[in-house]
Amino acid sequence: MKEKIREFIFEDLIFVAEPEKFSDDDDLLEAGLDSMGIMRLIMFVEEQFTVTLPDSEIDPDNVRSFNTLEQWILQHK
Amino acid sequence: MSDSQQKIVQGLNPADYFTLAMDEEIRQENMPGSLCGFALELSKQPDLEVLQQRINEFGLKFPLAYASLQQKGKRFFWYERAESPNLFKHYAAKKNDTADFHKTVLLDLINEKHDREAILPISFHLISSEHKSVFLLRWIHPFCDARSADLILKYLCTESEQQREKFDFPKLDSLVNRQLAKYKWWQKIALFFKAKRYITSLDTLPSVIHADTQQTPERLNYQTYSLTLEQTQRVNKLARQQVGLTGTSLYYIGCFMRALYRMNPEQAGEAYCAPYAFNLRKNKALSPVLGNHVGALFAQAPKSILDNREALFQHLKQQHTQVIREKLDYAFLPVMWAASWLSLAKHGEQLRKAYGTGGERSSFWFSDIGRTDVSEMSFFDSEIADILHLCQVTSPPALAFLSCQFNQKLSFSYNFVEPLFEMQWIEQLHDLMLDELLME
Repeated sequence: MKEKIREFIFEDLIFVAEPEKFSDDDDLLEAGLDSMGIMRLIMFVEEQFTVTLPDSEIDPDNVRSFNTLEQWILQHK
Repeated sequence: MSDSQQKIVQGLNPADYFTLAMDEEIRQENMPGSLCGFALELSKQPDLEVLQQRINEFGLKFPLAYASLQQKGKRFFWYERAESPNLFKHYAAKKNDTADFHKTVLLDLINEKHDREAILPISFHLISSEHKSVFLLRWIHPFCDARSADLILKYLCTESEQQREKFDFPKLDSLVNRQLAKYKWWQKIALFFKAKRYITSLDTLPSVIHADTQQTPERLNYQTYSLTLEQTQRVNKLARQQVGLTGTSLYYIGCFMRALYRMNPEQAGEAYCAPYAFNLRKNKALSPVLGNHVGALFAQAPKSILDNREALFQHLKQQHTQVIREKLDYAFLPVMWAASWLSLAKHGEQLRKAYGTGGERSSFWFSDIGRTDVSEMSFFDSEIADILHLCQVTSPPALAFLSCQFNQKLSFSYNFVEPLFEMQWIEQLHDLMLDELLME
């Protein structure tokens, strides 16, 4: 799951010079994930993993890193 | 006409054509075309020698910056021309600083009329008086979008040569074309019709236009406002509460719609509508530096819900979610591509409701530049005290609201065409906008 999300984020949303050095705990918001990007990310996750992420839970803490994002998705799987 | 000996540097991509159609529309109004500007207010005069060297280097690295935009057949191309990059200097004649000197020169520069073929795609200006300097980066919209201009400023400000080499490396083609190339031809057609239906549905509600369209456009004027750190923090917090993490721009748009509505609730029209471009560049990418790489989205709200702040933001948020969910943002790209084969007048008719009709889909133009990349940098030994944005706009709507966050403070530029709008009206509008933003 994380690999697919990584690929989507680095391919479509934010530029990171060396993605392989970006850890699962690094801050995606600091790296440039903005409001439009978060929206696209959520759409991607919902389509790819057949999950519905409630609007009310769209919070910086849930999308801050690959790890927190994964935990959030798993809560709704 | 183009000289057959001239070399073509580059063609225009579909998003460049979209802005060229607007350039044409503005020129038809006897205005200067789609000139835009980023202006940096500096604490003192920058190191001119190093600045000029950096501009020279930029010109060598990006020859497009000195090309000439010319038509060949139905298409437009950037043609090479022998023009040396330069920093244009404008000095106050009097020794004493006059309060309005910098603004007067800025307005002269953004209202300067040039033939399309003659104008430099981008030019650099330093406006200096004894106590203050303003650096203006002025460009024409078919040459680049606001994110590009931000990248150019970042390039100029980057001291390390090694770091500067990373700009436009690897060189990317038009991101609009790259995105279009991902679709099969039948998918492009499906997207095209999806976008046409989207535009048609928007146009069923006539937009509220506040400009006095009986007047003839004469000149662009602007007013800028910076919020304090505390005000900015409050706005960010309220934006998060009202529209959530996924649509901070919508907060500004919604507040601006309500401020306009409060200026005159009886103004003709059934809905407020604002375009907000989305950029196809990856965030924090240093490439592509030049060109327009945008698709268009629209926020539309019927007048009937403007009274209810909560309902308005709920509506804008749902609309935005729906647009992204249905990929209507990408749907606009094939329409821009198809229209790029038309004459500029036909292009305007197809993509913009306004062209030659006196009508207009947009109640105002909107752009949120976001956190500007130069915010924490000095500019050639001078501190950047403030930043402002300028853009020529079609009439109607004759009004553009541009926002950015600079040094952790929100900064707003109101650009308006006189006499369709007057300064006093804009000042009243900003008072209401501030009320809306801060919920006071």
